[in-house]
Amino acid sequence: MTWRCPPPHTLAGPFAMDALDPASQRRFARHLARCSECAREVMELREVAGRLAIASASPPPDVIKDSVLRVTKRVRQLPPVVGGSHGGQRGPKTRSVRPARTPRLAIALTAGAVVAAAAIWFTGHAGDHSPASSGADPAIAAVLTAPDATMIDTAVRPGGSATVVMSLTERRLVFAAAGLRALPAYRCYELWLVGHGRDRPAGLLPMPRHGMTGPVVAVGLHAGDRLGLSVEPVAGSRHPTSRMILLITL
Amino acid sequence: MPGPGPLTGSHRVSDRGSHLAQLLAKTAHGDHGAFEVIYEQVAPTVFGTVRRVVRDPCLSEEVTQEVFIEIWRTASRFNSSKGSPIAWVAMIAHRRAVDRVRAEQRSADRDRRAASSEIAYDEVAESAEHNLDRERVRHCLKRLTDLQREVVTLAYYRGYTYREVAGLLGVPAGTVSTRMRDGLIRLRDCLGVGQ
Repeated sequence: MTWRCPPPHTLAGPFAMDALDPASQRRFARHLARCSECAREVMELREVAGRLAIASASPPPDVIKDSVLRVTKRVRQLPPVVGGSHGGQRGPKTRSVRPARTPRLAIALTAGAVVAAAAIWFTGHAGDHSPASSGADPAIAAVLTAPDATMIDTAVRPGGSATVVMSLTERRLVFAAAGLRALPAYRCYELWLVGHGRDRPAGLLPMPRHGMTGPVVAVGLHAGDRLGLSVEPVAGSRHPTSRMILLITL
Repeated sequence: MPGPGPLTGSHRVSDRGSHLAQLLAKTAHGDHGAFEVIYEQVAPTVFGTVRRVVRDPCLSEEVTQEVFIEIWRTASRFNSSKGSPIAWVAMIAHRRAVDRVRAEQRSADRDRRAASSEIAYDEVAESAEHNLDRERVRHCLKRLTDLQREVVTLAYYRGYTYREVAGLLGVPAGTVSTRMRDGLIRLRDCLGVGQ
């Protein structure tokens, strides 16, 4: 194997701090398997990195513990490695638990798509109840066909797009999204109506189907409200506990 | 905080190490109680590390949960002959954090926050909570050369690759790589790691 400058030993520092690009990381890991001196040095440098970590200690919010303990009750553990040799203290493969991401469909939803999604929802969700405010079918239709129905298309900051159709006379809105970032099982998206001095929870978004989320209906809309979206614990929150990833002036 | 509390104090790092190793062994056999004790002991280290790299509070919480799920899932993979439990935990936390930040923030946003490592260093210096380990790390970081300190803090506390650090500082990548290594070696000696 040829190493262009810098040679492998000097990469021990970046390796121990996860500061190599993935290809170099893999090459250096292979090198470690053959270089016991390097492996020993990396082990020591990882201890130093551990001290840098300890020095950053800061207690997490209490809710994380409950969530972690609840989720791990359902998570299967890896069996011990049989035969011993697994070539160094390896971290786990980092992508294994996080749910697969929805491919970022560059779908800009249109009113037509909302209607189509609504139609799918009408036909496909009979007897299936959405966690969002239980917008019965007529509620969606009422908003979509209201004389003052107004549509807003917007991008969601971490990825995806959202379409809102609102009617002030109906005091409701229909929300649909495409390509929202997949969340871990213990998180969900929650809608908020923001205005009049407080944030009102407006429903949890259901799991996406084929990259499409919703449509869902939010009720209790007032003139001057804004619509917010945030990531919350899976049971939802009374008040937003994280930064809004979307805030639309309606 | 209930239980024995978070890891603090340099002597206690090694004392707690064997205790943590035992707890990991129990966790590997499905002991939820042992896992809860591990959580209590290492959660501040995990969350603090993740938050420093990831920045976004909500994402940091998510990543912290992912880290603990990984610890639970892979406890059987911990091998005490390859390093201490806290180094293993820190490695999982840091890797997850940099993976996430590299995936999420390849945008202008990341470039915008490409300030100098003074920020990262100041965070170590200014953190309100008094903690013996933090004091020692502060002290030892001060004993590095400016370049060593910059490359170490940008890589570890900001999650930059060494090539990114080279770009940020306008220094050849080979130099950055070498300074990272000798910076860590100097920290190792100053902190008395492995002695």
